[in-house]
Amino acid sequence: MFHWLEKNPFFFALAVFVTIAFAGLVEIVPNFAQQSRPLIGTTPYSTLELAGRHVYIKNSCNACHSQLIRPFKSETDRYGDYSLSGEYAYDRPFLWGSKRTGPDLMRVGNYRTTDWHENHMWDPEKVVPGTIMPAYRWMFVNNTDIDTAYAEMLTIEKFFGVPYNKPVPMKDGTTKIIKMGATLNEARMMALEEAITISHDMKNQDVIDAVALGRIPEIVALIAYMNSLK
Amino acid sequence: MNKIYLWGFIVTAAMLGFTYMSVIGSKGGLNGDIVNILTAAAAVALVLITVFTVIKYVRQMQVDTASGELANEKWDDIGEYLNPIPTGWGILFLLTMVWGMWYFLIGYPVNGYSQIGEYNEDVAAHNTKFEAKYKDITGDRLIEMGESVFLAECKVCHGLTADGIDGTASDLNVRLEANVVKYHILHGSNSKLMGTENPMPNRYGIMNANTDYSPISDAEIDVVSEYVANGMTGEGADVFAGACAACHGADGKGQAYVAPNIATFDIGLVVTILNHGKRGVIGGMPAFDRLNTKQKEAVGAYITSLSAKE
Repeated sequence: MFHWLEKNPFFFALAVFVTIAFAGLVEIVPNFAQQSRPLIGTTPYSTLELAGRHVYIKNSCNACHSQLIRPFKSETDRYGDYSLSGEYAYDRPFLWGSKRTGPDLMRVGNYRTTDWHENHMWDPEKVVPGTIMPAYRWMFVNNTDIDTAYAEMLTIEKFFGVPYNKPVPMKDGTTKIIKMGATLNEARMMALEEAITISHDMKNQDVIDAVALGRIPEIVALIAYMNSLK
Repeated sequence: MNKIYLWGFIVTAAMLGFTYMSVIGSKGGLNGDIVNILTAAAAVALVLITVFTVIKYVRQMQVDTASGELANEKWDDIGEYLNPIPTGWGILFLLTMVWGMWYFLIGYPVNGYSQIGEYNEDVAAHNTKFEAKYKDITGDRLIEMGESVFLAECKVCHGLTADGIDGTASDLNVRLEANVVKYHILHGSNSKLMGTENPMPNRYGIMNANTDYSPISDAEIDVVSEYVANGMTGEGADVFAGACAACHGADGKGQAYVAPNIATFDIGLVVTILNHGKRGVIGGMPAFDRLNTKQKEAVGAYITSLSAKE
């Protein structure tokens, strides 16, 4: 049989393809298994959260903070339940990080609050004596890029079928709908609404004034993203 | 006689001689030890086998000619024999495949390692040990444990000395600060401090939609806030007795299922806050239900001890 294949380049190429494709299937197919699908209770990011994720990436937070809790007691004690692959279903790209200079942030929304993040990003040393984390004060001034976040939402909704405006099952049996604006203006309005809710818990007067005037400082988007990490 | 055999004898003699000098003829010698004897025998055997094998294959290279059936096709005029693979190899190959099937279908799935399984065992073992070790812990040791948990989990917001870091979190060295008391009298409260939905009304009182009339005046609020913040001392006892004591008790220590203790911290109160989180004038505190029951109790004991010593 192999002698015959060796004399027929076309079929030989075909056989090579089939062999390699099989190996590929063994690696690829498990990714479509249920355990790799979005977990029940994992929701897509809202406009403001996605914009906050962009702020997170832009400032290279993932260079010092991981988002991956390994199944060791010492880690789950510190950071919460160990991570499951389905929880990253809406992360493009995932932000596992490769080095923990700071603590893991996978579930930071469970144990830190809006006003804590606000104090901490303004002056980390005051909140955590001895920390090496720098202050990120420009986030209190710079505006959030909602337009890019909306563009990403449109793209992932269209090409990856991310379920915006569709019911997503939650752990308690109910469903939740993460809304996406039909137009850019609507998306901006929705992001602003979210930002107003968050600014109610904030103390920095400049930020509160900015949100009241319809601007969204980056810190608000970042906090929205942090609070969504659960 | 072929030169190769002559070389074989010379090399054998040289290597055996070397073996003799370095082992048997050396100072220690074989020493009557069975291991030494076996080692020396193995060295001799290795020499003989090496020389025999080398001679065999060198001879084969010298005299052997190619034979056997050739495959039909040639690649760039290089032919290939149609020799079957050695029987031993063939059997081993088939056995490997059988083993592979067994490992794929039974060996790995049945006996496979699971890191989640190991994690679960780890946690169970730790919890058992923790419970056994700290089951009867009380008094100062409980407070010490509470302090260590506090320094790991709580100090990030409440600060190393539990002072609340300039008002960004509650100062736990006192039960209540005047601005906190005032805020809750004005706005009411529903922080599940009793463990259930049990709201405290705002300044207009229970079931009172009439927001023009408040049963407690601004001045009275200020006075009673200071009174509660000072640990139920000073002016304002009369206002407290009139407005607050009905639920919180004359001594401010609260009543089960009605109102929480606002005079002092107690373990139950702290545990409830850790379970449910809290929301107040400063902001929100998240629930800390990842602590175990003993740890929560310990934190309660530690926080109670902070204000008790003043």
